[in-house]
Parts: sequence; structure tokens; C-alpha cells
Amino acid sequence: MNWPYPDERRFPIKDFDLIKEGTVSLLLLMVVILVIAAFAGAPYRPTVTNKDIALNNPVFFAQTALGYLDGSDSIASYGPPYNHGWQGQTTGVQSIAEFHPQTWWGVPYPVQPVQDFILTPLSSLATASHNSILKDAVQVYQTSPYSQQMRWNANYKKALSTAKVVGHQLYIIPGDYGPVDYLMQSELAMAQSGLLSGVLNSETNQGVYRWNVQNDLLFLQGKPLHDKAKNLNMLGEQWGINHDERAYPGPWWLTPYTFLYQVPPWSVSPAGDLMAAYTVAILFLLLMFLPWIPGLNRLPRILPLYKLIWRGWYRYRKEHDL
Amino acid sequence: MNWTKQVREHTSVNLSWDRLLPSEQPIYVSSLVYSFGVFTLSSLVIVIASGIIMASKDPVWYQFSSLGAYLRSVHFWSVQAFFFFLTLHLVAQFFMSSWREGRGATWVLGVLSFAISVITAFTGYLSRGDFFSQWNQVQSKDAFNGAGLDGFLNILNNGQVYGLHISVLPLLLIFLVGLHLLAVRRRGVVPPYSEDKERDVE
Repeated sequence: MNWPYPDERRFPIKDFDLIKEGTVSLLLLMVVILVIAAFAGAPYRPTVTNKDIALNNPVFFAQTALGYLDGSDSIASYGPPYNHGWQGQTTGVQSIAEFHPQTWWGVPYPVQPVQDFILTPLSSLATASHNSILKDAVQVYQTSPYSQQMRWNANYKKALSTAKVVGHQLYIIPGDYGPVDYLMQSELAMAQSGLLSGVLNSETNQGVYRWNVQNDLLFLQGKPLHDKAKNLNMLGEQWGINHDERAYPGPWWLTPYTFLYQVPPWSVSPAGDLMAAYTVAILFLLLMFLPWIPGLNRLPRILPLYKLIWRGWYRYRKEHDL
Repeated sequence: MNWTKQVREHTSVNLSWDRLLPSEQPIYVSSLVYSFGVFTLSSLVIVIASGIIMASKDPVWYQFSSLGAYLRSVHFWSVQAFFFFLTLHLVAQFFMSSWREGRGATWVLGVLSFAISVITAFTGYLSRGDFFSQWNQVQSKDAFNGAGLDGFLNILNNGQVYGLHISVLPLLLIFLVGLHLLAVRRRGVVPPYSEDKERDVE
């Protein structure tokens, strides 16, 4: 016998085959996983696109788009890292007293929803389709005073609540909307054709074919995705990410983190995300430095589970009078 | 001072072949508990192998082709197995207080590996390309932004998320798990508590 830890000769040793144990365990698991994977498959639910929403619910789509134009959507007023808020107001910055690390980096991923989600895509559409009416509508909106823009938007918002839909077409009663009706109808048509995503993606990828889908995702991040997630029990207060499709296991190892979102103060604070992140960081540090934390590092000695784990050894020692 | 000589002498003692590939173990190593670590590692091997195959094709392939979907399924279930055994391993090592007798670094490396695994798995969920990815991407942006990670991470940028998932984080994880294994082999398996508390070695 050749036991390489001379300071631990206080225990008898036995034969052991590390490589055999590793190989058997790997092969065993491989068979089990390949079989489960074949029979159970993996969870998958198709994405929601702005095209889907524009086709299935034109009124909802127009309400979402109008939220960017009138600044009522949360992305319009988010603040760093996307913008400086709406008319000086920010709604997306989390802070505990004066601690708001979110703002430390400025605005690294700029999004101005009025321009990026509405006016720039429509200008592209106007240019591509030689549509001078649309081009003029964009210009009229841009050059009108803010108060005028907001009046048109408010009128249009009201009108949308009584809008009719025939096929995929949106019908609004006549009113004082300035160019807003034409802008919204054009945005809707553009989304229904699938072109809106293309323009949004080209914005975040410097015009080339790349992977940054920020604006395309942000366009839907408010009510459209929240409504769908709510139906699937995937909101934060419904244990959100812990759920996966149907009966599939989700990322259950995030349970300690998602638990925080179910209880005050994390669940009720506007800075809940910030608090949850730093709570988990502190818990993680506690776990990491557990060996050196007085009291906690003696916990396993107090709890009798080690007696169960090493019951064979304790029996052996008694039998052999060691 | 000769660095090469020092490293050689240090490793030839602490990481001798007898320690790296032991053919004996103390007699108390006889519980199922000792298999949790090796099962975690085996799951990780399957996670990485299936991940490499998926990365060699493309995200649309594993989303829409039947073979790709099967690989995605293998990846999914091996990740579930990985965290299942990892949790058992972590809990068991806690109850054995396996940081004792100079094994503090082993514990720290294990906990760090766990943390990197959680982040790696999260970026994987975001790379699935379905509603779950889409939803958790827009949900988690507030958490990452709020925590102040927005200076480094744009979670809505699939290029960054995918790059982190298939390269940066797995390399970091493999490195940490490698160090964890070396630390385990260097010190050997933690001995049981003596029944006499006075004789405990911390």
C-alpha cells in the first residue's frame, strides 16, 4: 500500500480505483441522460415578435407604439443605461439612498424611443417606398411644439380605446390627431410586414448583420411581454424564472434569489432588483468564507448529519477498537 | 531563486502521481456521499461535450432541426443533472465540514465554481432563442442594470451573451473546477470528525 498523505496515517486504507469510478459514472450518466433527452425532449416556446402582436392585436400594438411617442412607456423614461429619462424624469433607476450604481456608467446603450422606435423606422419606410406623405408626416410631427405633439397623442390615445379592427386594419374615428394617426397606421403596417424588426436590429448593430437585439426586445418589453408572461406564471412575483415550460424543471438553483422577490422588503421596494442582487452577493460571500466564520463553521459539528455520513467508519472503529 | 526549480519541487511533492491518481483511499470513504462530486464532474463533461457540438453548428440549427433539438435536450438534461449533483455535493461537503485541516482553498474554489456555473447556466437559458430567453432577457436587464453591471454587460446583446456562454464563462469554470480537483487531490479526502470534540482538528 502506498498512501501519499503521511500526516494522515491515523486511518487504515483500502483499495480504490479512481479512473474506474470516473469512467463508470460518466458512462452511466451518459446513458441515463441520452435516454431522458430522447423521451422527454427540452422545453421550447416560440418567441413573441412585434409582427405577431401587430397582426393579432392591432389596437394593442398601436397603444404600445403610442407609449413611445408620448413617453408613457417605461423605456422612454428609463434613464441609464439607455437614456436620460423623459422630460427630466427617470423611472428605471434603482437606488438605495444615494447608492445607485446603475448610473455610474452613463448611457452606454442609448435608446430614444421616439426616434429609434417610431420616427427613424418610419423615415426609412418613407424613403424606401417613395412615400412623400409619410415623409411629411414625420417632419410635421418633429417640427411641432412639444405641447402640440402631446395634445395629438392624448387625443389619439383616447380614440384608440374605441378603435375598430377589421381584418388586420385599424379604424379610428376622425379627430384632431395631426400626423399621429398616419404615423401609427404606417408603424402598424410596417410591423405587420415584419420590416420593423429589421430596422430596429439594424439600429443596434451599426447597420451591419450582428447579434445585438436590444431595440427589438425593448420595443416589446413592457405590456406585450408582461401580459404573456403573466398567463404563463412567469412574472417575478410568480417565482418568474424558476418556472419553465409545462412540467419541465426550470433553473431551480436560482430559488434563493427568486425567493427574495416574494417577500418584503425586496418584493415591495422600487429598488428590489438592486437589493436582491446585493443580498445574494452577501449570502454568496458568507458561503464562500464559511470555513472562517466563527459559529457557522462549527454548525456541521453540532448538527448530527456527519454521524450518518460516516456511520460505517464509526462502526468499524468500534468493532476494531481503534 | 530558481522559479522553475521551486515549482517542480512543490508540485512533485504536493501533486505527485500517487496523489493525483490514488489507488487507495482511507477506509471511511465508503458512502454514496463520495460519489456526488464525481457525478457532478461527469455531468459537466456531458454538458461541455453537447455544448461543443451545438456551438460548432449554430443557434438556429439547435432551435429548428430535429438533431439540433435533440442535442439541446441532452444539454438541458445534463445541466439539470449537473446542478442536482452539485447541490448534493455542496450540501454533503457542508455537513462533513470538508474545509477542515487545511482544505479551506478547496471549499472556496468549489463555491466559486458554483457561482460561475449559475451565471453560465443563466446565459445558456438566454441563448435558447425562445420565449423563455426573450422574457428573462428583458426581465433580467433591470437586475443587471440595477446592480451596476450595466457598464460591462448589455444582457440584450445576444452577441455578448452567447460569447460569454460558449467561451468566457466555460473556460473560467473549467479553470476553477480544475483547480478545485487539484486542491482535492493535494489534500486528500477530509477525515471524519472524531467522536471526541476535544480532538477536533480545524
